[in-house]
Order: sequence, then C-alpha cells, then structure tokens
Amino acid sequence: MYKLVKSISGQTLNCVFRLSDNATIPFDPANTDYQAYLKWVAEGNTPTPADE
Amino acid sequence: MSYLNVNQIQTAGNLPSFTTGANTINFGTQSIGASSASTMKNRIINGAMVINQRGFNSTLASTGATYTLDRWIGYNRLASSAYSVSQNAGSVTPPPGYINYLGVTSVAATTINAGDIYYISQFIEGLNTADLAWGTANAKTVTISFWVYSSLTGSFGGSLQNSGSSRSYPFSYTINSANTWQQISVTIPGDTTGTWLTTNGVGVQLTFSLGTGSSFVGTGGAWTGANNIFMPSGSVQLLNTNGATWYITGVQLEVGTVATQFEYRQYGAELALCQRYYFRRNSSSSQDIIANMQAYSTTAVFGKLFDFPVQMRTTPTSSYSNIGHLSGWNSSGGSAQAFTTNTGITADTNGIYAISGLVTGSSFFTSGACAAVQFNTTSGWIDASAEL
Repeated sequence: MYKLVKSISGQTLNCVFRLSDNATIPFDPANTDYQAYLKWVAEGNTPTPADE
Repeated sequence: MSYLNVNQIQTAGNLPSFTTGANTINFGTQSIGASSASTMKNRIINGAMVINQRGFNSTLASTGATYTLDRWIGYNRLASSAYSVSQNAGSVTPPPGYINYLGVTSVAATTINAGDIYYISQFIEGLNTADLAWGTANAKTVTISFWVYSSLTGSFGGSLQNSGSSRSYPFSYTINSANTWQQISVTIPGDTTGTWLTTNGVGVQLTFSLGTGSSFVGTGGAWTGANNIFMPSGSVQLLNTNGATWYITGVQLEVGTVATQFEYRQYGAELALCQRYYFRRNSSSSQDIIANMQAYSTTAVFGKLFDFPVQMRTTPTSSYSNIGHLSGWNSSGGSAQAFTTNTGITADTNGIYAISGLVTGSSFFTSGACAAVQFNTTSGWIDASAEL
C-alpha cells in the first residue's frame, strides 16, 4: 500500500510513501521501488491521498 | 594484428625489468593478472561478502527479492520462510585468504513447485559490463569463479541472464565433498544476440539457484532465448532439505577464459562501491547530532540532512528506523523533543535534502531559527537504496 505525499507547505511532492516500512519512494523511472509502485498502480490499485 | 613474444625485458645492466607468464606480467615480485592485484577486473561487488551495511542476519519471510549482504539479493517464492541468509552462518572457517562468506540455511523441507524460484543473485550494473559487448558479434567470454561449501553434494546450478530475463545461460557446478570449501570456475562465451543494457540498469544478472521449479529450468551450457531460466534441469534443489546449508565467497566475474586469483580490494574501496547502491547512516550514540536544520514553523523543521559519501546510481528510496528515533533541538538548546510525524524524507543522488519532522505540541521551535537534529538512540538509522 502506498500514500501520496505533500510537503509541510502543502505542495504535492514527486514521491510516495510505502506504508509497509514508511519508505519514501521518488518518482524516478530508474528506481526499482518506483517501478514496483507503477506495476501496483497498473494492476488497478490507487494510492491513499496525502494528508491535508 | 601482430605479436611481440618475449619472456623478459632487461635493463641496460642486464637486470630483469619485467617478465611474462601465461596470464601475468611480473614486475620484480609483483604480478598483474593471475594475482590478487587490484585491476578492477572483478565485475562483482562485495564478492568476498565483507560488507553488510544492513547488518542482515535473518530469514526471508516474504515473497520477492530482499537485499541481504551488500549487493546480494535473496529471492523467496513463498510468503513463509524457506531459508535464512547471514554473514558467516554456521561459523565455519572461511577458505584461505577470506574472513567472510554469505551463508544460506534451509529452514524447512520446501517442495519446489513448477513455478517456484529461490536464489541468491547479484545484478551487475550495465555501465560496468558495457565492455563485454554482449548482444553483438564482438561479445567477450567471461569466467565466473567462487568458493562454495554445502552440506549437500552433487551438481548445483546457476545462470547468467539479461535485464529482461529473455536471455539465459544456465550453468552447472559440482560439489564433490560435503562441508568442504571447494573453488569453482565456469567459463561462459559472450552472448552475441539479445538485448544487454549498458546503462545504469541491470547489465548482467548472476544467479545461484537454491531451488527452481520445472518451468524455469533448461539445458545447461548454452544460451537460450527462453525466459527466466535459472539452472540446468536436474540440478540439486537445496531447499528440499530442511537444515541444508550453502555458503559462498570469493565470487568473481571477469573477462577471459581462465579464472585468475580473486581481486582483493581494500575495505574502503569495496564499501564505496557498495554505497553507489545502498547507504546507511547508523546512529553512533544516544545524542548523535546529524545536521543543523531550520525550524519551518514552531512544530516542524526542514533542510538538508546529509550528503551521501558516494553519488548513488539513481534517486534512492529513503527510509528510517523510526521517526521517534530523531529529535530536534530548539534554538535555546535547552531541550530536544522527539519527532512524532514524518511528512517527507526525500533525496536525490547526492544526499537526503529534505526531512520534514514534526513534533507534537506547539511553540517548541522558533520559526526561522536553527534547529539541530539528532538520533536520540543508538539503534537509530536512516538509509537510502538505489539498488538494481
């Protein structure tokens, strides 16, 4: 499961939290964790919205 | 092409300047080639299993790939545990010249079903294998060598694969005596077809099978275009046997048709090679100041945490032991308060540049003032992973 991230100033960041271990995954095509996230999304899943 | 065949070149005083051997050039008593001289010939990183930044010593308890000792992946098909990996498992004496090995221990008698795969692997970055020219008519032959020790004997299996696993070369190696270190070498002709990345993606994947189902075995000793072939059919299935052990060290992959001596690299150099893919900043005390940041508000700090010692392969995933293991000092310096919320630890290839830690309550920090950030426990860590 993943959760989108906003900065403390409210901007949406180009990264996502992996909730299983609180890792922050950058939206970088060469990052294998991001590749796994894209596969998860392609399977029809949706990340949890960022905290407001 | 022309050749100059000499055995020795002498000085003007008829003293030998250098001599040649079958695979060496010798300068006095020093050799290049069939020696432990560091020539960056070994494309495997952490082949002597010395670096273990994660302190990994555990069973692999979930489906998928888990990084264990630095650069070494363990792949587990089951959601339950089939095997454990630890540095120097079983505390046997390593082979001469080594102090560490990667140890696999089977923790169950696992049935290997047709679609199952279990393995230990290293993904070699394409930038470090580009000169092999695989996928072209100029593909170079490579030789893999390693020391292995197992409670089982027989013909074991492994493979080389490309990034898409659409090209595979299953290979066999034989362990003749149980519980005895044995050095293996396997020579593999370069693949003249297929797609082999020369980027910062996976160039070559070296895999040692621990158990492979019938869907993923093939004919040994030849390149195949069948997908995901991890070992020759009929190879030993280590994980069939509860308590079976398989230890490995001195892994080397080099250009050429002969296995030369393992390339010894100094610890700091090997660590730096590993840190291109993974870096962990461990806490050294219960008051380990990491950085001076800025209070973004009365409850949050923001700023650069630290640079990585080595530029990483790509933008890393970052994580930490526990957000409560980090504290911020307010500008008066009189007290530190543990963070309760992480609103983002982000990084680029050079460092972790933005941590937004929140503390509970209000008016702890002075907005705009400096706020030192520290580990408040010796068990704290922050890491960054750009593994392949």
